[in-house]
This record gives sequence, structure tokens and C-alpha cells, in this order.
Amino acid sequence: MAIEQSKIERWEKELSKCIRCGTCRQFCPIHQVLDDESYTARGKLYLVDQFIHGDFLLSDGFVEMIGKCVMCKGCTANCPSGVNTYQIFMEMREEIVKERGLSFTKQSIFRALHWRKFFDFGLSCGALFQRLIFKPAPDGHGQVARVPLPMAGFNQRRIIPNLPRKSLKKIVPLESKARGTERYRVGFFTGCMINYAYPQIGQDLIHVLNHNGVTVLTPKEQHCCATPLFTSGEKEIASDLIHKNLEIFAKLDIDYIVTACSSGGLAWKEEFAKVLGEDHPDYPLALELGKKTKDISEFLVMIGIDTDGLQPLQQKITYHDSCHLNRGQKIKQQPRQLLQSIPESTFIEMEKADGCCGSGGSFNLKYYELSRDINRQKTAHISDTGADVVAVGCPACLMHIKDGLAQDGIQAETKHVVELLAESYGFHQNRKGE
Amino acid sequence: MSSYPDVTAALAELRAAVGEKYVHTAVEKRMVYSFDSTFQNHLPDVVVKPHTVEEAAAVVKIASRYQIPLTVRGAGTCLSGGPVALQGGILMEMTAFKRIIEVNADEQYAVVEPGVVTNELIAAAAKKGLFYPPDPSSSGMSTLGGNVAECAGGGRGVKYGVTRDYVLELELILPDGEIITVGNKVDGLTGWLDLPMLFTGSEGTLAILTRMTVRLLPKPEAIRTALAQYDELDAAARTVSAIISAGVVPTTIEIMDQMTIRAVENFLQIGLDTSKAAFVLLEVDGDGWEVEQQLEQVIAICKENGAVEIQVAHNEAERAALWKARKSISGACGKINPTKIGEDIAVPPGNIPKMIQAVKEIAEKYNLNMVVFGHAGDGNLHPNIMTDKRNTEEMERVNQAIDELFARALELGGTLSGEHGIGFMKAPYLLQELGRDGYLAQKAVKDSLDPAGFLNPGKIFIEKELEVTHG
Repeated sequence: MAIEQSKIERWEKELSKCIRCGTCRQFCPIHQVLDDESYTARGKLYLVDQFIHGDFLLSDGFVEMIGKCVMCKGCTANCPSGVNTYQIFMEMREEIVKERGLSFTKQSIFRALHWRKFFDFGLSCGALFQRLIFKPAPDGHGQVARVPLPMAGFNQRRIIPNLPRKSLKKIVPLESKARGTERYRVGFFTGCMINYAYPQIGQDLIHVLNHNGVTVLTPKEQHCCATPLFTSGEKEIASDLIHKNLEIFAKLDIDYIVTACSSGGLAWKEEFAKVLGEDHPDYPLALELGKKTKDISEFLVMIGIDTDGLQPLQQKITYHDSCHLNRGQKIKQQPRQLLQSIPESTFIEMEKADGCCGSGGSFNLKYYELSRDINRQKTAHISDTGADVVAVGCPACLMHIKDGLAQDGIQAETKHVVELLAESYGFHQNRKGE
Repeated sequence: MSSYPDVTAALAELRAAVGEKYVHTAVEKRMVYSFDSTFQNHLPDVVVKPHTVEEAAAVVKIASRYQIPLTVRGAGTCLSGGPVALQGGILMEMTAFKRIIEVNADEQYAVVEPGVVTNELIAAAAKKGLFYPPDPSSSGMSTLGGNVAECAGGGRGVKYGVTRDYVLELELILPDGEIITVGNKVDGLTGWLDLPMLFTGSEGTLAILTRMTVRLLPKPEAIRTALAQYDELDAAARTVSAIISAGVVPTTIEIMDQMTIRAVENFLQIGLDTSKAAFVLLEVDGDGWEVEQQLEQVIAICKENGAVEIQVAHNEAERAALWKARKSISGACGKINPTKIGEDIAVPPGNIPKMIQAVKEIAEKYNLNMVVFGHAGDGNLHPNIMTDKRNTEEMERVNQAIDELFARALELGGTLSGEHGIGFMKAPYLLQELGRDGYLAQKAVKDSLDPAGFLNPGKIFIEKELEVTHG
């Protein structure tokens, strides 16, 4: 396989920084569970090194090692030599796709994502017919599959959210006006999970922003953030989705772009530009809009919220740091600060709050059991706090932790930070159960 | 054991011994197990992972019967090549032995399995108000089995010694597959020879560790930390010698030269004064007044020896700030040049100034980027060469510089390995350190326990080297 010379040179420089100290062993959630050097960054980096020098060919085992990574950035953030393993793995996946193509499942899903209307239609049908293949989970929240659906990774005991009949983009208007004086105008990038699976998080976000003097624009044409594509090595469709998203948001009259999804936010802030590359005509726009992008917690703390309007919630709350929010966007303090401003609630820090929950985006579809093994450590830490609610800043983590808590029989709810804020502002009083 | 039978003959038995799932022959699996934290790779023929002592003993018996080299590996964070399968054969990963069996607060010891990560024991001991002092820089990932096998040191060595000083009892598999226990839980001594000490630091060449009892200490009440800055490297080096000869026993004395300081500042931008020639980081611990008294004494010695500025930490945050530079050296050095070759020598503390001078001379002579830092309090220095392994011409000079570094350390009454072990990285220099008779005496111990020489072959003892002297 021919890898571009410039890429080889860049990789060589990065790879030569690895001093094989093994620090990555303690920060890799996969290694923590599997206890196997094949899943450490240093092990895989050595294989990549041999591979680009032609001393070692793509083997099935190697492809699996590169694939078995949650992309949590744990190794990258903690590497004493600063090796950007995350980036190398992402680019290595591109090479693998070039040589071997994508799996049939990923290919189908990605093509569908590319044609947003088709994907919209597919998921609406899914909402109508979901009861045929899924049944309500024992506790009434969410649903489990009636038959195993291995292609989509739906293990039969796995609890996934009920798909709402209407996606967020169908419920909310393009423009939701600020209450009182308009302080800011923002574009809301919903991301697929909030749009299709958890529209109530999006509604809450809009409520909270409107209440705090922010007008929210939710463009209906917006696409998937492309993270599942470029982290799988699919660059072409990803670039096209990025191009469309940039075009749509560039047209809006807004001060900021707001996200409530860890990977979606990271994509806008950094990865759109990286995936496109400096030579792409959209590169400057990607950088410009990247700078305008704020995670919802980051944005709310930045503008300052109305804390007087927050009503007491007598709950014990703990918080899970999503990998792409904490290590990806460096947002750690803001969600804690918001949660602690809720009157009469108690905030309890859990052990290893920044440990990966095992979701890894589409990772958990392919490796459900492994992602559950990683998740079990998270649910144990949540359980130790005795919290009533675990707050998260990412709908993917939310789904995975919710499933984990139910599987492990732990009585704690999982909510997005904005859901708790909305609840405290009293916006939930007229809302029926999920 | 330069040639041995094909491993394939033994595969079926290995699979029966540890389970099919834990026997790997695929090339990518063998590749990721072909190295430790050094830069040489040697492919094992097969990687096995036992989960019980019986399984491990069965692997040893198979290796012994077929005369296949057997190399044991923990976390693979060794800095001298100890867990690298130099001659191929079987690589046995011990990380499944990860139970902390007992932390006994009354008798102050812990019983652990070799795959337990060092920091996990430190944390478990701390929960009971106890303290396990050896803390190699890799303690976040290194295993205790590896620590004992390599006799790991660490930052607290000046006051608390190294791993050897904490080993009480060991359960071992001998080369014939028999399981024995040496030492005891009380004072570590039983019978005639001090066997726990013999096996500690034997680097997997004499036996396989399967369980260890280590001594714990009561946790000191207080720790005080100070950072002294110098305009001359020599003044900093003299301070180290002066503190030791004054009889003060700090837990830590870390030295950093100007190049190290600059590298760290470049990396972190935390406002270190890069015009300074050296930093000395000092830590004392103990109870109540004693610790304050020690701190005053140490500060006085720093001043007498030319420290121009001294900062003292008053809380945990300030302590972390003072340690920040020291803890970031590794990563910072990566920015100077991609490849970092870390060495590990030790000289009597009185010779620290001379050794540092020697390092500087060697760096100049071979035109290399070298930084010096280390646990100078117990004479342990880590000269690190910043190079680029892709530059073969420079790598040649690096090798010559390392040869000279070892020679100078030995001249100054020092040793090749402060805390990283001999492995194969330093094996070529061992004869030089021990002398022919000393070497043969050690080799006799090895030969009597492992006459076939299948345990970790190629480490410590290199036949070729000996033949040269015989000739």
C-alpha cells in the first residue's frame, strides 16, 4: 500500500518520540480490562512504525488492535513524551479503510448519514416499528431487543432509548427567541443522538438558553458531525458532511455555535479542520467556526446564568467527565460549577470521574461486551457515591451509563447537565415522562 | 542456549497448561511483547499468560524439558532489557497474578502477587496508615514482581533504601518446576544463606517469582519540600555531598542541570529561572519537630554551598508545584530530540561532583545533547542522551559515549546500575565491574541453580565476553 510520503515523515517524527515507557498502560481503558500489551498505545505504535517501513503487513490481528480503541485520548493526554497517538490511530484507520474498505454495516450506516433525508426517514420508520423488534425494558425506561441484532450491536439485554416519533429538528422551530432582552444569538448543533434519541435534552437546552437571554437557531438541514466516520477512517463522506455543516452554519446570523455533545463539540472545535486539511478550500471557515463553538456548560458559565431562578432540587448529584469533553475540549470545571449552583442539591465527586465509560461512540456497537466491562468500573464508582443522579455532558455517555446502571442494578438516574438545570428552573413541570 | 528445539513441539503442552486463549503465536502479538522500555526488540516465539502458580510451574517444566529459553515479563517497563526474550523462546507474562492478598497493619507487612502494580500497593498500604517506600518513577505501571526482580529504587532511596530492603519472603518456581518459599514474614531471614536477597535483583535468571511478602513502615506524619537554585552546577553537586556527609537523611535529593531546567521550561512554561545552572529538590519527612529541624539544617547546608535561592513549600499545592519540574523531565526531553536514551549509574555520593563533571566532558567530547538529573542523594544519576535513533552516525557516537560513561562511573568507585538492573543493556560491561573472579563466582551461582541456562538467557552473564578474557 502506498502511504503518502509526507504522512510517513510526519508519522515517523511522532513515532520516534515514543520512549516505550508504558505510561499508556495505566490510562488505557481497554488495557485495564483486557490486560494485554496488544491494546496499549506503545504496542500499537510499534506496529504502526513497522508497518510504515514495510516490515510488517496489515494482518487481521493488527486491524483488530487498531479498531479496538475507544478513542478516549487517555494515552495521548497523559503521554510524558507528548505522542499524539489519537491522531496516528485515526490516520491509521484511514489507511486501513483505503486498503480493506469499511465493514458492510458501517458502509450502510455512513451512506445513509450522507443522505440526511433518507436517514431521517429511516429513523422515523424505526420509531414507528421499533416495538416489533424491541420490547420495553423491565423498569419501563427504554427498551431491549426481542431478538439479537448483532449487525447493529444490539445485544439482547442492552437497554437503548425509545426512539421518539419526532426528532428534535421536527419539534423545535428554526428560531427560538430569547426571553427578555436578547444578549446573544447562537446556532445549536444538535448532533444525531440528541436529535434522534434524546430530543428532550435539546428542548431543555433551548429553554435554558432562552431563559438566560439567548436566541437559539436550530437549522433543520444540519448533518451528522461525521465523528463516527472519520474515527473509522472514512474521510471522503466525512469531508462532505463537514462541508455541508460549515456551509449551513456560516449562513446564520449568530455569535456562537453551541453543542451539548462531547464529540460533536470536539469535531467543530478541532477535527473539522484536521480532517479537511490545510489545502481544503473550507479549511479557513472550519477554523473560524471552530473558534466560535462552545460546549453548553462552557457557554453558560461564560455568559453567566440566572442563578436566582434556580429552584431547589434535593438530590445527590455526581458528574462523569466525558473523554471528548474533558480531554478533548478541556472542559472540566464548568459543568461542576453549574451543578453546584442548584440549590439544596449535594455534589459528590466520584472516584476516577475522568475514566472512560466505555461507550466510545460506535465502538460499543461492535464491542458491546468489552464496552460493558469498561463501564462496570464506572457504574461501581457511581454506586460508591450513593448519588441519586449522575450528570453527564454527552448523550453517548448518557446512553451507555444508563444501560450500565440498569444492567448492574444500581438505582441512579442519568441526566444531561442541561436537563438538571432545566428541571431546577422548573421547565419540567408540564413535561410527561420520557 | 544459542540454539534450541522448535517451539512448535511444545505448543500443545503449553496450551494444555495455561489454556488455548492464553497462548499467542501470531506475529503481531509477539511483536508487541518484543520490547520493554529500552530500544531493542527481540521476538519471542510464543507468549503465554498463566493465571495460577501451578500453571506457571507447568510452563517452567515444559520449557525445562524442551530446553526452550523462558523469559518472564511484568508490565514491561524495565530499563535494561530484563523482560525481552533475547533468544526467542517462551515469554511468560505474569500480570494475571494481581491480588493483594493481605495488608497486615499489626505486623506491618503485605503479601502480594507479582502482577500487582506498585502504586496499587502504595495506595492499599496508605489506607491502613502504612507506607511502602520504594517508588520507581514507573510506579504507576510497573509491577512489584518486576520491582523485586530488578531491585528497583526510586526517589526516596536516600533515606529508605531500595526494594531489597523491603523483601521479607518470596515464593518462587525453581528451574526444575519445584515451588519453594524463602525468607519469612518476620525478619526475612531463615537458615543459612540470605536467600530473599539472592533472588531480589536476579532479573529472572534464577527463578520465577509468584508471591512476595514485603515490609511496610508507619506513614511519616509530615513531609517538607524545598527547592534550591544555583548559579554553578558544581555548587549544587557539592551540596548533595555535604548533606550526606553532615549526616542529615532527607528522603529525596534530586538534582537537575541547566539543560534539564531549560527543557522543562520550554515544555511547560511555568516560569522556571533558566539562567540558573542547577536545581536541587529536597524532601525530608518524619514526625513533629524532627522534620522542621531537618528542614532548617538542609537549608543551611544549601546556603553554605552557594544556593542563591531557596523555596519552601507550605502546603500540598506548593509541594506539587516544586515537584512539577522534576516530574516533567521525561516528556520535556522528548522535545529536544525525539529519542531519549536514559542511563542509570551510581557513584559514592562524595563523588557526585566529579561524576557530573565527567558527564559534561563526555557530552562535549562526543558532541551530544545530554541532560543530567537523578536521585543524587544516594549517588544515583540518570544522564540522558537526547538523540534521534534514525541518525545512525550520531547513534555510533552515542554508543561510544555510553561506554565511556560506564568506564568513568567505575573509576569513581561506582556501579553500572543504580536501580535499573543489568539485563542485556549493561551485560557487556559487567565483567569490567566485577572483575574475572567476581564474575565467575556469580556465574557459579547461576550455573548451580539453572545449569541448562534456559531462564532468561543472554542477560547479566554473556558467555562470549568471558571467553575473550580467558583467551
